Amino acid sequence: MKIVLTVNGERHRVEVEPRRTLADALREDLGLTGTHLGCEHGVCGACTVIVDGLPARACLMFAVQADGAAVETVEGLAAEDGTLHPLQEAFSRCHGLQCGACTPGMLMTAAHLLDTEPAPDRARIRAEMAGNICRCTGYVGIVDAVEEAAAGRGDP
Amino acid sequence: MKCPPFSYHRATDVADAVAALGAADGEGKILAGGQSLVPLLALRLARPAVLVDVNRVPGLDGLVVRDGVLHAGALVRHLHLAGQDHHPLAAEAARWIGHTAIRSRGTLAGSLAHADPSAELPAVLRACDGAVHVAGPGGTRRLGADELFVGALQSSLAETEMITGVELPVPDAWGFAEFARRHGDFAIVSVAAARFGDRLRVVVGGVAGVPHLVDPGDLATCDGGLSADRVAILAAAAADDVDPPSDLHGSAGYRRALTEQMTARALTQLAGHRTPEAA
Amino acid sequence: MTGDHRPASGTPVRRKEDARLLTGRGRYVSDLALPRMRHVAFVRSPLAHGRITGIDTDGALAVDGVTAVFTGEHPALASVALRALSALPGYVETDQPPLARDKVRFAGEAVAAVVADDRYLAEDGAEAVVVDYEPLTPTVCAWDAGITDPVHDEAPDNLLLSRTFTAGDVDDALAGAHVVVDRDLTTNRHGGNPIECRAGVARYEAADRRLTFWSGTQVPHLVRTQLAELLDLPEGNIRVIAPDVGGGFGVKAVLYPEDVALCLMAMATPGIPLKWVEDRVEHLLAATHARDHRYVLRAGFAADGELLAVRADVWCNVGAYSVYPWTAGIEPLMAGGLLTGPYKLAHYACTVRGVTTNTSPSGPYRGVARPATVFAMEALLDSGARALDMDPIALRRRNLILPADVPYRMPSRLVDDSGAYEACLDRAVAMFDLAGWRAEQGRRRKVGGRPLGIGVGIYNELTGLGRAASAGPRMPFRTGHDACTVRINPDGAVTVFSGVTSQGQGLETTMAQVVADALGVDYDAVDVRIGDTDSSLWGFGAFSSRQAVIGGGAAHLAGADVRAKALALAGALCEVDVSDLDLRAGQVHVRGQEKPVIALAEVAEVAYLRSDRLPEGFEPGLESTKFYDPIRGAFAAGVQIAALEFDPATGEIGILDWVCVEDAGRIVHPVIVAGQVAGSIAQGIGGAMYEHLVYDEDGNLSTGTLLDYLMPTAGEIPELRIGHVCTEGANPTHVRGVGEGGTLAPNAVVAGALLDALGVEVDDLPVTPARVWELVSP
Repeated sequence: MKIVLTVNGERHRVEVEPRRTLADALREDLGLTGTHLGCEHGVCGACTVIVDGLPARACLMFAVQADGAAVETVEGLAAEDGTLHPLQEAFSRCHGLQCGACTPGMLMTAAHLLDTEPAPDRARIRAEMAGNICRCTGYVGIVDAVEEAAAGRGDP
Repeated sequence: MKCPPFSYHRATDVADAVAALGAADGEGKILAGGQSLVPLLALRLARPAVLVDVNRVPGLDGLVVRDGVLHAGALVRHLHLAGQDHHPLAAEAARWIGHTAIRSRGTLAGSLAHADPSAELPAVLRACDGAVHVAGPGGTRRLGADELFVGALQSSLAETEMITGVELPVPDAWGFAEFARRHGDFAIVSVAAARFGDRLRVVVGGVAGVPHLVDPGDLATCDGGLSADRVAILAAAAADDVDPPSDLHGSAGYRRALTEQMTARALTQLAGHRTPEAA
Repeated sequence: MTGDHRPASGTPVRRKEDARLLTGRGRYVSDLALPRMRHVAFVRSPLAHGRITGIDTDGALAVDGVTAVFTGEHPALASVALRALSALPGYVETDQPPLARDKVRFAGEAVAAVVADDRYLAEDGAEAVVVDYEPLTPTVCAWDAGITDPVHDEAPDNLLLSRTFTAGDVDDALAGAHVVVDRDLTTNRHGGNPIECRAGVARYEAADRRLTFWSGTQVPHLVRTQLAELLDLPEGNIRVIAPDVGGGFGVKAVLYPEDVALCLMAMATPGIPLKWVEDRVEHLLAATHARDHRYVLRAGFAADGELLAVRADVWCNVGAYSVYPWTAGIEPLMAGGLLTGPYKLAHYACTVRGVTTNTSPSGPYRGVARPATVFAMEALLDSGARALDMDPIALRRRNLILPADVPYRMPSRLVDDSGAYEACLDRAVAMFDLAGWRAEQGRRRKVGGRPLGIGVGIYNELTGLGRAASAGPRMPFRTGHDACTVRINPDGAVTVFSGVTSQGQGLETTMAQVVADALGVDYDAVDVRIGDTDSSLWGFGAFSSRQAVIGGGAAHLAGADVRAKALALAGALCEVDVSDLDLRAGQVHVRGQEKPVIALAEVAEVAYLRSDRLPEGFEPGLESTKFYDPIRGAFAAGVQIAALEFDPATGEIGILDWVCVEDAGRIVHPVIVAGQVAGSIAQGIGGAMYEHLVYDEDGNLSTGTLLDYLMPTAGEIPELRIGHVCTEGANPTHVRGVGEGGTLAPNAVVAGALLDALGVEVDDLPVTPARVWELVSP
């Protein structure tokens, strides 16, 4: 099937099999390998992207379903000149990442949280980030980072 | 973990979807939120020949209350259900489902059609004595909650039918309690309790193939007040009434104990909660 | 800039890895795409134990897009076997084929491999392979199973290894004990589950017989050596590249049959890169598991609490194969060697066994065996405290190895150089507010409220094992050293080629800090290359919390050596005595003078480009390669203490506070160290309360997806409060390893808290709500 995906503002025409997941289309067809696959059955959250403004598991959505949709991925978070998004800055400063495999999903989940709730407390951050598994950090740095970004201290 | 091949039909309306299911000769499957179906495909535990994508069918995402009943379209997402205040029991239950990225896609009708006995919304449908509207080749029909669920992951929907809407009567008071290993996991035991006038319905999820409607005998009526003693008696009655299986996450005895505890929590909440009249 | 060099070590410099990992520009093997690349899917055994009576690949070959199907009998694979070697007496060597031959020994073992144009098609092909089996009786449990069909013919009793550790006279000491306590404990099988599963891309060029293997491995140099042997290629013809790796935790410190199969298949299809990315279901089935142990224990205490003797019988379920190259000894030997932990003990008798079963092989997993042994030891102390009516912490204090005791020869003859246990305990107790929590516990007991318990776990973590400490398993290699090359480029910037590898530990950053300080340049001037056998000289890789100690030591030595070379050249160029010169922030100064005499960049320019200025006796170039081996290891002390509450009605467990104090020696990067500690505690809590790989009696994995294998999330892991004490390690950077210690205590802490709260001893892990409820319900 021919579909059109708008990813981080850029329109792409791609030909995909119906069974191709959005995650695989992003990674394999568009070369946007920032979106990671951790379980391919919707549990780990590594592949979380924003589809038409809402977070979604890119492994549980077929690319054909995203035909015409606006998809935001981790590659779109930083500014075009390379300036990091406040969340990316905060993740670096607070050591909210180690191996980086869960990081794209964490960032997209957190970005959506902060877009919808500007001042979540730590409990709320933990509840919302609980859909994403991190195996490295013990979550402390991640919660710190989201809290710091939320507090507007994300800029250096 | 890649899905097996299937052909894909993007339905334009309900009739088109039903026709596509019919044409699939029993090998079709509705694709709505996909949050339960796609993992099954990825594990190759399901292999439909045709997926009928209903996500773009117009008119299935509405929510409206008429005569004390919430009428929800099939495509109402969990996130939407969780955020509405017409039916606080459904909202509370929906908040227990997975996580935002699951709730943003998963649909009410999809959850009901999937008929997972540990899932939240089937228990709510049954607690509220709700019903689903179903479209099929022979027209439409209305299926009550008691008829919809047949067994674990089994509903009475024909392979050529789809749910188009859901009726959820709004209870006068409600309670919901769930015990899961982690927040967002399927419940080991969940309890949805609803009071309509003096009629009390308590449904336990996770203890049988279908959400289990507790038969509380003489205690089924309730004039609004629920003393702590009555809560305890009802909770014990619920525990007596279930015959749960043992599995990885808990023995039958444990599930029975959780049934008592969760029933008590849900009824305590029910005793304190009223659905606002404003709804 | 004035004054001394501003050290990079000890400060939280920005991690060099972060910019690419935060922007989706990481370079993981899973991301790799090469021209002509094809994809592999493995056909895996649905049976735990069975004879292969036939494999029909025709259906797979008929699938559109499938280009090849390999089985164990394929000529490219048929003669190859992975055989983990050890000279330990009584160790039974067994073969592991790259793809099963003749029989399958666990559910999930790779039986065939399908090559196709993409992974979807490869999986279609894998489904179409028909394998016929004749079932054999499986053995699942390592300690209470009669054996009908042995897993390996070479070991009719399924015993691959047994060793007894003895010190003193246990019988005599037990006879004289005031109290004797017995425990019979089992620990739960679980595993690493990095977010990026295993991944490999193998490409072979027949013209020059060169193989490149991109692998998400923790041990690229070891992999190269082993591949050279298995593939019969000159080692120099093999290049192993481990770029960004999405977590490891030990699971990726193994050379797997799938890796070898992938390389062999690539050699059979020259010029066509083959890619295999393990999916989560495969990972749960067939990546190495760990911690499936039983401990039958007896301990004797004197009336004053002195631990007199420990007798232990230990069974480790090592799974279907002796894990390559570490052997089936990895868990049992560690269990026997470190069971007694940070406690002084004279009388010790411990027999450990590695028992093969029809389950996925056990391998290294963060903390190797010690989450189980610390649980065992602390359970004995908790039982002892009850029997003696002593405070459990006081009993521990009575027996800890103290600074005056070090170097302390443990009953297993390992030498503990730490002695910082009491310092860690004091700090942990103070941070935790033990008195406050005891008061709260008492208040709840009086006025009601969920029962609250305090659990404690004290551990010694053997890190940075040098040649003496790594000799125990008697493998045909000693993992005591690493190499590092520090090269000053013609422009004065520094490139470090380190033998370390990183799966999230931030080793690029740590090595850059060490070299910046050893050399006298800014952190930003140092670029670190790791994970490529063609660039770094040697490194054993990431395991045993060894890299900061050993790789860091090599980096420091190489940096210091290049500094000496640069200063010598600068001295000759400037006609200043080298002993008067200092290098800081990339500038050479005469000591005490603010104005530099020459920039390092100019020295480097001369060294590479201006041989016309090169003084007599100086070779061109400016670099150094050094190896470092600490000979022994650096023990790292750690203490965790936590308050947990339990709901007896539901078994629900709440973590109210969790404190950890570790001795990491001198800390290179405080935030990275804290992150290692926090991350390892989280995995420890996962193992203690959530993660359990369960086989049914037929040997089928019942927890085959993340719906059943539960890893803790931000919703389950509490705020972790981490403190440090610092006793410098005897190595060039004065560090002690971190990264594993955190996993060691949570079993003990959770079990101890349950005992403290509700008075029930838990013998079987994990401690789940269901388990708590079963223990307290009549």
